[in-house]
Amino acid sequence: MIARRLLGLWRTLRHGTRLDADLDDELNAYVDELVDRRVAAGEGRDAARRAVLVEIGGLESVREEVREVRMGRWLDESWRDVTYAWRGLQRTPSFTLAALATLALGVGAVVAIFSVAYALLVQPLPFRAPDRLVFVWADQAAEGYPRAPLSGPELRDLDERATRFDGFAAIWATTAALTGDDAPEQLRIGLVTSDFFSLLGADAGLGRTFRAEDETTGPPSTILLSDAVWRRRFGADSAIVGRRIDVNGRPTVVVGVMPQGFRPMMPPDAAVPDDLEAWQLFNQRFVEGPRGQRYLRVIGRTRGGVAVDDAVADVARVGREISAANAFYGAAGRRFETVPLALDAMNDVRRPLIFLTAGVGILLLIACINVASLLVARAAARARESAIRVALGAERGRLIRQHLAEALVLGTLGGGLGVVMGAWGLQLLLRLTPDALGRLQQATLSVPVVTVALAMVIGWMVVLAVAPAAQGTRVSLVAAVRDDRGHTGGRGRAHLRRALTMAQLALSVVLVVAALLLARTMQRVLAIDPGFTDDGVLSFRVAFQGSRLGSQEAFNALSRRLQEALAAIPGATGAAAWSHAPYDTVPNWGGPYVATEGAEPSTAPQADYRAVSPGGMELLGVRLREGRWFTETDDTAHAPVVLVDDRLAARTWPGESPIGRRLGLDPAVGGTPSTWATVVGLVQHVRHRSPIADVREQVYFPARQVPRNPSVYLVKTAGDAVALTSAVREAVREVDPTLPIYDVRPLSAYAAQARALRGFTAVLSALFAVAALTLAAVGIYGVVTYAVTERRRELGIRLALGASAAALIRLVLRESATMTLLGLGVGLAVTAASASWIRGQLVGVAPWDPAAIAGTIVILGAAALAACVAPARRALRMSPTRVLREQ
Amino acid sequence: MANLDLMKGTLSLLILRTLELEPRHGVAIADRIAQTTRGTFKVKAGSLFPALHRLEQDGAIAGEWSLVEGRRIKTYRLTAAGRRQLASGTRDWARVVEAMRAVLEAGSS
Repeated sequence: MIARRLLGLWRTLRHGTRLDADLDDELNAYVDELVDRRVAAGEGRDAARRAVLVEIGGLESVREEVREVRMGRWLDESWRDVTYAWRGLQRTPSFTLAALATLALGVGAVVAIFSVAYALLVQPLPFRAPDRLVFVWADQAAEGYPRAPLSGPELRDLDERATRFDGFAAIWATTAALTGDDAPEQLRIGLVTSDFFSLLGADAGLGRTFRAEDETTGPPSTILLSDAVWRRRFGADSAIVGRRIDVNGRPTVVVGVMPQGFRPMMPPDAAVPDDLEAWQLFNQRFVEGPRGQRYLRVIGRTRGGVAVDDAVADVARVGREISAANAFYGAAGRRFETVPLALDAMNDVRRPLIFLTAGVGILLLIACINVASLLVARAAARARESAIRVALGAERGRLIRQHLAEALVLGTLGGGLGVVMGAWGLQLLLRLTPDALGRLQQATLSVPVVTVALAMVIGWMVVLAVAPAAQGTRVSLVAAVRDDRGHTGGRGRAHLRRALTMAQLALSVVLVVAALLLARTMQRVLAIDPGFTDDGVLSFRVAFQGSRLGSQEAFNALSRRLQEALAAIPGATGAAAWSHAPYDTVPNWGGPYVATEGAEPSTAPQADYRAVSPGGMELLGVRLREGRWFTETDDTAHAPVVLVDDRLAARTWPGESPIGRRLGLDPAVGGTPSTWATVVGLVQHVRHRSPIADVREQVYFPARQVPRNPSVYLVKTAGDAVALTSAVREAVREVDPTLPIYDVRPLSAYAAQARALRGFTAVLSALFAVAALTLAAVGIYGVVTYAVTERRRELGIRLALGASAAALIRLVLRESATMTLLGLGVGLAVTAASASWIRGQLVGVAPWDPAAIAGTIVILGAAALAACVAPARRALRMSPTRVLREQ
Repeated sequence: MANLDLMKGTLSLLILRTLELEPRHGVAIADRIAQTTRGTFKVKAGSLFPALHRLEQDGAIAGEWSLVEGRRIKTYRLTAAGRRQLASGTRDWARVVEAMRAVLEAGSS
């Protein structure tokens, strides 16, 4: 019916002029015929015509009225339906408010989360033709490094041999000191090939990006700044381009400033942070560097029109060719993996986001079901009204349309409020986001998201409204007028409401189980022994420059003085230095290790390297299994020594003591394990790369033999670590006022950051679960209350006949228990069916974790019971006489 | 009773009934109604044409053009939907009449 009206309206609008001409013909024919008739009766033609026109009240007014019918009828009736619905909603303000609040919550959640998902998963990367960008990994799975970076020669090989690509570029994150007039500062630098930005298709906001002629054979002579550094350090001075600034003590020309919000968007395991502060060029000779020196994160741009599969095959072919051409790769050869950048860049957030998106989708559905179920209750209350109106000749279609109009009005208003709430929620979400999800900051309220959210709520409302509306118009006149609701239309509706509530319960079961599983995962993650303690440790980074880096002796002397000064701070119980903070991946440091001389380096297993000052392992409470810690005598004057972790020992010398064994290592990352050191201690594996994932074996070098710059200094105290901040700054200033220290924070901040994403997901899903459960409980409350009201006569008679209170409560509870049990059953079945879906988010917890399932049952049962309290009291307070008089 | 506003929807019913026997054009419909109600309902163009177009849009009647003596004449015929609408309208009407009668007579006794 509505479809036909729409068609009519369309036709009217489209063929308006032809219809007008037709109408003129029709009316003229009418007038002519009447005039003919009068003429035949003897009147003059002109007089007759005048008389006819007077009689019909003017042709134009008739034409106008017909036109109004054609154009306006559809709009008119729809408008009437809408205003009628609105008046109806105004008559029941509490219902309307509850419905609008419910819908607004659901839509708000959808808008906020969908905006994020849209920005991160759907919107293309903010680069030129991003679908042609790929990321290339070296597959070193056999050495425990499935996604390894590439070396300079490998990048050159790709550039020369690949045929399906416009080119390849590389980036590697490191740090550099910014010196000069202001306090010295250490910057996170991205070292790039000169075509990195042009290949991405990212332009500078000010000045330019790099060119081939910027390349040097020595240290870089140019720098490209991030917007953040430009603002913070140079006061957004637009004359900065072309100026010389001091980087690592060398005058360096600023070629440009990247625009605000530029992020390289490399995959999360590429160790290229999104918040790099400046970019410089690799030394021109890096492509000659050792084939085994792997540090380059390589991106490629395919030629236009090349399919991903072709690009993958092309790179794989290059891998086979260079494996055959270089004895270095041994018999196994080297394989390269090629992944679309857009896919890889969001690797870590994809799953949680899809999960959250599904979660809010379910929440909105629950909200709609709840409102629909309230509408059913209203339809029941209006059964008499409907029946009488049908009897008085109201079209049934019209009644259905009124229900639809009600649903539309609620959906539109609720949706509109929801969009406002969503915009607000998105702001809140962005403020709460952990750094790990920094990319989320790109999310804004967008037209497609708002459209989808509104379409969802209005669509659900319409679908859910049609069912009760269809039922509502099938009301029998006789039954309704006799007010025999409990036995006729009411029964079907009660079934429908029960079914809706059950569906709601089932959906909230899914969300509650998921939230509990994620909470259990969080609990497990927190319970994982990282192999060190960060309690009461204040950390900061420091970079030595200039002459202090001149020799190992000078470096060691300054390190010792710094350590002593820090340890002397009142309240400090010790101080030490590490090359990396826990969960630090920038700069990434690791390499091969071999236990026998002459072993094939390219197939050697890979380990993470860390350098630790004397006292460093002890300060963090790392457990020594065998042997000894480093001492001040483990310096350049003495033979090289290392500590290894139990995994390395178990792999290399299974069942034997590693103490006194020799290992070939590559601390200078030259590509070959050429430094031989004696193992002096065996320590328990330290989770310093990931709180959950099992990563590579570990080798610890003494900082006095293998210096790393910049490094992290740790100060231990029995009290509050943060309280030491100013004392630490003071101590460093006294040792050397020009030392750039930065990132002063408690060491525990790193672990918190590493867990933040997981915690964020867990908290969000818990919020969803609570919201879903509340909605479901409201649903149960509604159904049970309704059932009690429906059966008040029966209950009244039972009371009058002396039924006990317990029997009445049983009746009420039975109503709720049936729905709850059915909802639980269905919900758990759905959960089981989608187990594989959530598994990726879990750590040490099975998708059918008994505690989570039991918890869900308890929570749901409690909610169902709580929802029964009010209706049960109502049933008990009922006065038999009054109920029986009511009819 | 000549005031048609009093009985909204009656005109549609009258038109449908009029077209039940054979297709007619505007003047013929008005004539037929006036004739069968013995002049009680004089349908004017201002009511007739909007009603016809409303019914046409609802699909109860369908208009067809023909050329009669050089004039384009639009003739309306009843559709299946119109036939159903006429049947239910007639029933509803009978019910209303019955109800009115019951009320009015109950009042007098």
